[in-house]
Amino acid sequence: MASELTAPVETAALAAEVEGLLDSAEPEGIYRDTRECGGGLLLAALLLISPPTPRAPKTDAR
Amino acid sequence: MLAEQAQENSSLSTVVADVANGVALALDGEGGSYALSALLAQDDAVALAAVRVLGADVLAPYALGAPPGGGPDEQVVRKALAAYPPGADASEVSVWSYRGLVEASRAFLPAGGDWPDTPQAGAAWLQTDPWPRLTHRASQLAALALPGLAPALAAGLAARTEDLARGFVRAVRRRDWLQAAGAGRWLARVPDVPQSLGLDAGLVYVRRMSGGDPRVALHAAAARRFHLRGPR
Repeated sequence: MASELTAPVETAALAAEVEGLLDSAEPEGIYRDTRECGGGLLLAALLLISPPTPRAPKTDAR
Repeated sequence: MLAEQAQENSSLSTVVADVANGVALALDGEGGSYALSALLAQDDAVALAAVRVLGADVLAPYALGAPPGGGPDEQVVRKALAAYPPGADASEVSVWSYRGLVEASRAFLPAGGDWPDTPQAGAAWLQTDPWPRLTHRASQLAALALPGLAPALAAGLAARTEDLARGFVRAVRRRDWLQAAGAGRWLARVPDVPQSLGLDAGLVYVRRMSGGDPRVALHAAAARRFHLRGPR
């Protein structure tokens, strides 16, 4: 009796799952643009080799 | 409830993978004689749902000339079509896939008889979809790339071979192996594929990189057996 009651529910859930598998969304892909990566690396390198920010020399208060 | 649903979902995916593996082995000429009904562990709702998901591909070995499974296979397909018809709000992919399974049953199962009518499926997307979306849909319908099925769909995709080739490369770069295999299978069927695409090597690469995904293996095996493209 219980299986008779749950069968339509299971079939409906499976039908939804079938639809989902048939028309699945495109998975998120990891897509890296080589030029963008190169630009990012160049920017990081420039930041690393750049000279430190000039600071005002310490003046003796005496 | 969520746990139960997740378990059910995973069991459907497992059965789909098992059946796809059996079809791929049959197309590769391994595993002895093929019978769809023998592949299914049980004749229940999940097994029938798997048949509906894989569509015409469950009958692909018969398109190669394997002796048809006869009555038991016909019953399985009839039950799957009856249990999971495309609803009023079904996607176009679902309708096309249903049509494909009906067409394949008429073509490859011996008994004939009254199969369900094939519902009308929208085809405007073949002209209007941008190439990434076109490739995604085409790959979802790769089972219809079997010889003789869906000639209108094949003609529509042949008219956009370059877009499909572009989408194949995009899928490979995104490491979406299932989409790449499906698009590659269509490219194996359409004429005038650019030599510069390297389709044969691409299909070998996709199959290898997929990590043994049975659905990818099925598409690659079909491209090789029906269209002589891809892995040798």
